[in-house]
Amino acid sequence: MVEASKSGKTHLREITHKVLRATIKCVIFYATYFVISTLLTPVSGMFPGFQQTVEVFVMVYISLIVAGELVSGTIFQHFFNAAKALFVILYLISSLKGGIVSMSFQNVNLILDLRLFLIVATLLGLLGLAKSMLQAINFLNEKAEPSLI
Amino acid sequence: MQNTTEKENVMRIPIRMLGIVTTFFWIFLIAFFASAVYSVKDMQLNFGEPQTSVASDNKILFSLPVTIANNGYYNIGAFNLTTKISDENGFVVAHNSTFVPVIEKGMKVTISHNMTIDVNRLLQSDQEYLFNDTELEINQIVSMKLAEVIPVQASANLSMPWSAPLHNFALGEIRYEPYNETHEKAAVPISFENNAFFDLTGGIQIRMYNVSDQLIGEGLSTVEAPQSSPYESRVELCVPITENTGNGHVEIYFQTSFFDWGPLVIPYG
Repeated sequence: MVEASKSGKTHLREITHKVLRATIKCVIFYATYFVISTLLTPVSGMFPGFQQTVEVFVMVYISLIVAGELVSGTIFQHFFNAAKALFVILYLISSLKGGIVSMSFQNVNLILDLRLFLIVATLLGLLGLAKSMLQAINFLNEKAEPSLI
Repeated sequence: MQNTTEKENVMRIPIRMLGIVTTFFWIFLIAFFASAVYSVKDMQLNFGEPQTSVASDNKILFSLPVTIANNGYYNIGAFNLTTKISDENGFVVAHNSTFVPVIEKGMKVTISHNMTIDVNRLLQSDQEYLFNDTELEINQIVSMKLAEVIPVQASANLSMPWSAPLHNFALGEIRYEPYNETHEKAAVPISFENNAFFDLTGGIQIRMYNVSDQLIGEGLSTVEAPQSSPYESRVELCVPITENTGNGHVEIYFQTSFFDWGPLVIPYG
């Protein structure tokens, strides 16, 4: 009975710990977004739909952070990490339309060539994906180790 | 057991390093990109009053002063201003680019974007530019590299009024006066409005033909028509009385500092 109570307390502590970590990560991520978004406010008005695109990205990414943290210590954590990396790559490619962003307001057509930014971001996303896969392999490796001894 | 821990560390250290490096580059990339785009708001591009003058080769020279103030965090690279003037049929009247390799941060650069319009070339496209006011299309493209890395291009289509230098050109009634026993003096009144943005100086040559298409006389008159003003004058010709049938046609040739054009054929009588 005492052991069960201890186990319950440990479990509760673990969940609290995970929720706390998820909250901290989300707050840091949202604060970063908030600072950048404030910085870009004068410019973002020039690009219709920019704010909305970024907000959708932030919402999905925060959801993946929360999900990843809540299942930390399991293989699913690495699945969510990989999903995050893939989401970043695919969302950037789709929202930046292959790197050439064009828009027009009044009589002026504006073309922004973000291909270099997209290439670097994609490479970093792939590095993140590789890291997640290595973490997953390492996780399975660690799980498998005790049975060998 | 110690061996297992070593194996775990062998995997964990590169993964952690990979994570640190990725995070570092993400922060660098986002900070750089955000600050480069943010710098745009501190960049000022001002177009001055366009100046018109005559180039040494008698072409119309447009000069547009452009001031670029780069108060952003980074240099601006490959600043290029291109202007293309064309008519409604797509005929390119004038085309020129002005390039500035680098505008350093905190610097203010003033450039002069020059363009020459060859009226002779314009008349090859359509002679109506001499007589009718119309509009020319201007395609203006400004391109640059933000922080010398991110290419940006803005383009705009505008229209520019073209004011004809010989608007409402007309011949009046020809008056004849006796000159001698064999010839008479024909005075051909001419009138037009110089709506153009340049003064028209040069000469008008008139060749007079009778009803049998026989050249019966020719005369030359100088023209000095200031911009945006009406002009009236007359060209005097000496024609043989016997060959003058009182009707026929005249051919008019224009030789000015901006263009040489002719003949304009107008019937008389």
